[in-house]
Formats: sequence, C-alpha cells, structure tokens
Amino acid sequence: MPTVTEVEPMIHVDHLGKQYGERTVFSDISFDVNPGEIVSIVGPSGCGKTTLLRCVVGLMKPSHGTVLVSGTPVVDPPEGVAMVFQHFGLFPWKTIAANVAYGLTAKGVSMKDAAPRVHELIKLVGLEGFEKSYPYQLSGGMQQRAGLARALAVEPGVLVMDEPFAALDAQTRDILQLELLRIWGTRSAAMMFVTHSIDEAVLMGDRIVILRGRPSSIFDIVDVGIPHPRGRETVDTDRFRTVRDYVWRAVMHDEADDTPLPTDADAVRIEPQSHRNMNGHDHG
Amino acid sequence: MNRRTTRHRLRVLSGYVGGVLLGAVLWQVIGTIAPHEVFDSLSDTLARLWQIILDGTLGTALWTSFQTYLVGMVFALIIGAFGGLLLARRQLLRIALEPYAIALYATPMVGIIPFLLALLGFGFWPKVVVIILFAFFPVLLNTQRGAQSISPELLDVARVYRTRERDIWRHVILPYTLPFLMTGVRQSLARGLVGMIAADFFLSSDGLGGLLITASERFDTAEMLAITLVITVIGLALMAIGRALENHFARWRVG
Repeated sequence: MPTVTEVEPMIHVDHLGKQYGERTVFSDISFDVNPGEIVSIVGPSGCGKTTLLRCVVGLMKPSHGTVLVSGTPVVDPPEGVAMVFQHFGLFPWKTIAANVAYGLTAKGVSMKDAAPRVHELIKLVGLEGFEKSYPYQLSGGMQQRAGLARALAVEPGVLVMDEPFAALDAQTRDILQLELLRIWGTRSAAMMFVTHSIDEAVLMGDRIVILRGRPSSIFDIVDVGIPHPRGRETVDTDRFRTVRDYVWRAVMHDEADDTPLPTDADAVRIEPQSHRNMNGHDHG
Repeated sequence: MNRRTTRHRLRVLSGYVGGVLLGAVLWQVIGTIAPHEVFDSLSDTLARLWQIILDGTLGTALWTSFQTYLVGMVFALIIGAFGGLLLARRQLLRIALEPYAIALYATPMVGIIPFLLALLGFGFWPKVVVIILFAFFPVLLNTQRGAQSISPELLDVARVYRTRERDIWRHVILPYTLPFLMTGVRQSLARGLVGMIAADFFLSSDGLGGLLITASERFDTAEMLAITLVITVIGLALMAIGRALENHFARWRVG
C-alpha cells in the first residue's frame, strides 16, 4: 500500500491566502489532490470556495502561498486543467458540438480533426442527436452535460468543478451526480469538487476539505471512506450518514459551542471501517 | 392548416386591407375638399408621382441621396462599432469620452447642421458628415452595452481553455457583441434617413430633401405628398431590413 508521500499530488495547495484590500477571504489553506482522487470542498456560502478554486486554476492570483499542478507552479491557467462552471459557461452562439470542441479548437485543432473525439464525448454524456442544437434549445441538465463533455475533451489530468449542479433542479442534480461518478470512473483525473451541498460533498468526495470561519481556513479534512463505484444506495449506508452528520456539524458548528464534535470526529477519523484501502491518501 | 387558423388569417388580412382602404378614402376625400396649396388628393398625388418617375426627376434625386446615405452609413457603422468596442473594453477611454458621447446623443443633431455648413460648406462630404452624426450613436451605444455585458463566466471559460488574448476578441467578445451591434444598425438605418433628408434641406438643393423643398417653394402639394410617400416607403423598407438583420444575428439569443 503506497502512502501519500510516494505519489506526486496532481494539485498541491500550499499555505494559500487571498485578500481584497483589508478583507481576508481565506488564509493558510494547504491540501493535496492525488491522481484519481475526488476532493470535495465545502463551507458556508461566502467562505471563498469559488475564489479558492479560481486561484487553483490560475484565473486569479493568490495573495499568499502557491499552487502546484503536476509539480509546476500555477501562474496562468495551465495545460491539462479543465473546469466545469456553475452556469455551464457554454457559448450561446456556438452549437453543442462546437462548444464541446472548444478546448481543442482554442488550441488550433480544426473542427474536423476534433470531430471524432467530440462525437465520442457527446455520446458518453448522452447528448447524441443534439450536436447541431444551440444551448438555449437544451435544458439546464443537458447544457451541463455539454459543459462536462467540453471539459473531458481536453483529456485533463485535473478536473475542477465549481458548484456544477447548483443551478439545476433536485432531480436532475441526483441524476448528474451519479452520471459524473460513472464517467469519472472511466478516467483517472484528479477532481476538485466545490459545492455548498453537504450531501453532494460526501457522495462525490473521497476526501472532504471543510472551510470555516472568517476569514475562512481549513477546519478539517475528512476521509469519506466509501469505496467506488458508488450509487444511489450509497446515501443509505451508515458510513454515509456518519460522515454527513459530522461534516454538517462541522460546517454549521458555532465557534462557542464545542461539545458535539469530538465523538463524531473520532468516528470519522479513527474508524475507517472496512475501507482501510481507501485511506492511502492520508491527509496528515 | 386547420379551419381556425385560416379564419384567423382571413380576419387579420381583412383588417389590414380595410385599414389601408379607409386611409386611402379619407386621403382622397380630404384632399378633394381642401385647397390645393394645403393638401391634395390621393389620385393627384399618385398622378404626380407617376409623372416624376417618368421624367426621371425622382430617379436622379433618389440616386443622389442614396450615394450620400450609403457612404455615410458605412462610416457610421465603422465608427460606431470600433468606438463602441473601445469604450467598452478600455476603461480610461470610457471615463474620458462617455460624457461627450452622451451629451452629443442628447443634442438634437439638426441644431448642429448650421455649424457644419459654416465649417465645411455645401457639397457631398458635408452631407455625409451629417448622416454620420445622425447615425453612428445607436451603433456605438449598443455595441458598447453589448461588449460590456459579456458574462465574466464566458471570459473565464475562454481563459481556462487557454484562449490567446487576440482569440478572446475573435471567439468571445465579437460574436457576443454582434447581435447588439445589429440592434444599433437597425436604429441607425432610420436615424440616417432623417439625417439624409435634413442634410438635403440645409446643404443642397438636390436629393430627395432638395426635391421636397423646391416643391414646397412652388406650393406643389401633390409633389410634396408624392415625395413624402416615397420617403415613408423607404423608411419602412429600411426598418424591415434592419429587423431582418437583427433577427438573423440574434437567433442564438432566443429564450
């Protein structure tokens, strides 16, 4: 069983901090995301999850600290990183096929050369027959499927999701969560999954980074310890409930109230149950 | 097509034809009763229209006016589009120039024509300048508003997928702005027409406006009405062209 020290993390976040003038959004944030791992980032709204993510992909400069992607410091958006956006971010004047191909055509690949891969991905996300449609002709869930296909088209080593299902209705969200897990299972990208939904964070994540406080910092990093493949039944397991309850309390926890956490924390940290093999990437 | 939509269409068509007929009859009746120097009947107007078509007066005037109109519109479009993009994407320029743009937009352009006359005199180019002044603001303002309203998320998408800076203009800013620009063009087409007639009034005795002025000096009411009718039809045609352009480029904006 290899330990984390032997694996080079795909994303290495080192003492990251961001300030706007006087206001500090977050400070001293450090964590890794390993190849083939999904790390969820949760925290109350306004805690700077999206800002953190923008710093990681190079859309924004952090005030302190560094981000390494595949061992290289991030200054501008690096090669091999793809992102899925909260409001899908499809270009409304491009067809679905042209949107899916965007990451390739922006690099100078012709639409014709991109066509086979575009077709394969459109099929993978279940959008066959909509290649020539425009985004406004599709439902939100279908638009986000296209957003996911676009991200996968560049064969990313790092996939970054910014509350990708927050703008969708509950049913569509449930379906797409499992779809994403299915699709991700066929690849080996490292995934950073930002969400404000605790259930989603537990369902998607191998580990969960909990942000808290003002300015926010990492309160805890939790091993979810539920093996893949996961499905609808995952949410009915004891382990899911234990982790969810712990994360819920950690996020909602009042600084003044220090009673309920320790027992739950023990349950989550010390008792990896039968999923010891999932804990190769210890956060310690 | 079912019976219901057929009936609906018939109703619409009969309303349309009825409206036009009513207008024509009213025109004819009032024109017959009123003194000729004040108003003339539809039949006299159409007869006069036929006459100026046959003797070539209308054709020459149309050609003269439309040369200036076309040249003016091309300049207005270029100035408006580039100016709008610059104002939208260069903050310093915007802060410095926006007050002037808005002040000039609020000024009735007709009031500026005498200055232009003093400055540039008569002729082709002064008229072009008038048309440009009338027509470029809607393009400028709409282009600016469009280019400024691009969602930051789309720019993030372009950057995450490593689009080069000049390609961001080509792939994102320009396609996004195009429909807004076309809304500006639609409005400009009509304003340019007003500018064309105004320029003819003040800066020459030819063109459609010139024809209108000379007719009024001769108290030739039928000819005045005939030319006004022509201008109205042109205006309607330009509106239709503008609407078609706008719809064509804005098809992705639906919904």
